[in-house]
Amino acid sequence: MDCRSRGVGTCLAVVAAAAALSAGLPLAAQDDAAPRAYDGHPDLNGVWQAIGTAHWNLEDHPSGPGHPDLGAIGAVPPGQGVVVGGDIPYLETALQQRRKNFENRMTEDPEAKCFLPGVPRATYLPYPLQIIQGDRKIMILYGFAEANRTIHMDKETPEPPPLDSWMGRSHGRWEGDTLVVEAEGFNGQAWLDRAGNFSSSSLRVEERYTPLGSHAIMYEATLTDPEVFSRPWTIRLPLYRRLEEDARVLEFKCVEYAEDLMYGHLRREPTR
Amino acid sequence: MTFLRAIAFAALAGAVSAPATFAAELHHIQITAASPSEAVRWYGRHFDCTAVASQPDTADCDGVQLIFAVQPTMGSSQGTGINHIGFSYADVVSKMAELEAVGVRGSGVRLQRFDDGATLRELPGMFLHGFVFDPWGTRIEVLQDPQNEGFHQVHLSATDPAETLDWYRKALGGRPAKFKGREDALRFGDVWLFAAQHPDGKPAPTRSRAVAHIAFDVPDLGRAGPEMRRSGADFESEPETPDNARSPAKRAFLRGPDNVRVAVVESGYAGIASKFEAAAAQEAAEPYAVPRTPWGEPDMQGVWTGNSAHGIPLERPQDLEDVEALTPEQAAARRERGTLGSIWGYEREWRDTTLGYDKMTPSTQVAMIVDPPNGRLPELTAEGKRMAAEAQAERARKAAKTPDGPEDLNMYHRCITRGLPGLMMPGIYNNGLQIVQGPGFVAIQKEMIHETRAIPTKPRQPVGEKLTSWLGDPQGRWEGDTLVVETARLNGRAGYRGATAAARLTERFTRIGPTKLRYEFTIDDPTVWVQPWTATFAFDLDDEQYELVEYACHEGNYGMFNALSGARARDKRAAESGE
Repeated sequence: MDCRSRGVGTCLAVVAAAAALSAGLPLAAQDDAAPRAYDGHPDLNGVWQAIGTAHWNLEDHPSGPGHPDLGAIGAVPPGQGVVVGGDIPYLETALQQRRKNFENRMTEDPEAKCFLPGVPRATYLPYPLQIIQGDRKIMILYGFAEANRTIHMDKETPEPPPLDSWMGRSHGRWEGDTLVVEAEGFNGQAWLDRAGNFSSSSLRVEERYTPLGSHAIMYEATLTDPEVFSRPWTIRLPLYRRLEEDARVLEFKCVEYAEDLMYGHLRREPTR
Repeated sequence: MTFLRAIAFAALAGAVSAPATFAAELHHIQITAASPSEAVRWYGRHFDCTAVASQPDTADCDGVQLIFAVQPTMGSSQGTGINHIGFSYADVVSKMAELEAVGVRGSGVRLQRFDDGATLRELPGMFLHGFVFDPWGTRIEVLQDPQNEGFHQVHLSATDPAETLDWYRKALGGRPAKFKGREDALRFGDVWLFAAQHPDGKPAPTRSRAVAHIAFDVPDLGRAGPEMRRSGADFESEPETPDNARSPAKRAFLRGPDNVRVAVVESGYAGIASKFEAAAAQEAAEPYAVPRTPWGEPDMQGVWTGNSAHGIPLERPQDLEDVEALTPEQAAARRERGTLGSIWGYEREWRDTTLGYDKMTPSTQVAMIVDPPNGRLPELTAEGKRMAAEAQAERARKAAKTPDGPEDLNMYHRCITRGLPGLMMPGIYNNGLQIVQGPGFVAIQKEMIHETRAIPTKPRQPVGEKLTSWLGDPQGRWEGDTLVVETARLNGRAGYRGATAAARLTERFTRIGPTKLRYEFTIDDPTVWVQPWTATFAFDLDDEQYELVEYACHEGNYGMFNALSGARARDKRAAESGE
């Protein structure tokens, strides 16, 4: 079944129906309903994580070499893309930049430098994230570079971002059981993956978090950036609940591990 | 055009060429500074002004008074219609050397260097001169004009300098003169009034900037007023004896050209007794009912800042042993000293912004440590003394050479962490603290370096002993309305005041009023101190106007590049000179 080419709703219904049929159970008997918060909205509190290769490359990609010193550990595993409809619709001029990014990825990828990952990249980095959902704000804490976001649920009119930033400014609302987040105000320096996919400071992201039962959320992000893309496009991937009882987002202050890459040439005994 | 406006117009037009029949003198310059007494001392020490006995906020500089008003400083004089004031010395080279020797730290003297790095420059045919700033943002020219030593001039910045000088001539009776036979100016008594071309657009209003206004003295304001009005002067306020006036003399304000606020005062005017406006930060007398989240936990959510606590020292100073609380004036001066002491090396404009940015009334708390009751850190153990000596030797070793690499800079400069409880401590800027709660979790986000702690309020198994980290593994619980947080598994690399990884850190967050959050921490580290110690301060809710910015510290750490490339340049120079 190809969920990528359909809307989430359709896809979910089909999955659920298929599961119900194969189990010979009526839908209502599924013991897997998404938990509800005090106010009746889905309760997204918990520790979640993407699985897959989106952090390597959002598009379909075969396996490839990494840094030679790391052997197979650094190699790029093959992966099925998460871009709905296949490829990212780059403007011709932007493709050159992506090529350049790819060629220089070992030193120029903001992830390598332990920079804040931006949105949506923070979501599918290979680290857990924790959602803290309260009554006015939702905070997401990410497992990389101490990144976090505050999603304002209490602003009737979205406020303009006070200044451009890596993680942007986010306003959220509920559409049925879907948490819809509009994010903008990005500084245009973040990349989208380790393959050099990127966006500019004109980027606007609409994210949709839709619970798939209690243990998964379907995550969709539509990226609109007329400076880089010819049309809005969407990625879709599930976030899985980390089921370990003591699951948590551990502190990963990665600055130390990027200092040699960034400042090695300025050491008394240069290492780069 | 209405009838009334037509009359006003005619009145203006008819007044064009009539100069004032009286000659005003420069009376005072109003400078904003959080601590008038400190400002009086500063101008006394560095520019030979004298304190005025009956006016504790006033320094007398050769008959011109500098009156210091207690207000947050909203930025330098530069950029407004009053660019700077000037003092003249017979030997400006030695004067500038003397000022340079003071240093810029704290309430020091900040030098403005010319493009070639020099502090002095010859203005051909005029004089040798340079510029410094007082700690509150007033730009001061230091020049060599042997004919006129002491307080020398007020230098305006005008969109049309000739027109501006003409206004001061007509409204206040300044005498036209050519300085050194070249520069058009006016004289008020001994003092020169210059006007230079404003570089860009309209000058910013002087009101609430470092030089808030200049005041001229006229013998009889009752008679001079109508004449000024006829000359086209625009009165912002009528001549009257101000509230809290120290003398019965009258004062009025004019809207001068280039957004300059001009006061005119009668002879004998002695300023007003300024009263510091202490905010009514008194805690409510009746017990405060802490609000609850919809799921029933105490609600501490919102954006708080540690701004009011900035400046409170950890330990009680020796000279404040029996003092219960500072006066608001002392508290304002303390915070300003703290700010100036921390950011002395910053770009001036940035520094001015920082000084003016903090609107929260400073706390009058004497010290943070409340236990031991003497307000000081407990005695060190023998091991603690050994470790402190070792740490000091290590710091001295690093200070004695250029840094080998990033590791020779501290964890804060490397944008790694301020540690615990260090990251909670107030500093000069980015003191935002955002709290977001979900059932069973309190997220505490500190703006500086963007560190966020997710505190569970339900018991959970701590991580294994080998899994240490900078901020450790926290465990929270509610004790009544207080969130108590204990942290284990610290890596010990950013211990506060020498605390080790084995320290027991207990923090308590209590909302003690609608806008006050008390923060208290106890460090129990028997390796280092003979007894546990506890410190406290409060955060203030600032939900309406404050928003945490993304403090992308490492991403923008130009300081690291500059420190290391500067170190390598110094190494190279040392090698070349054969050292």
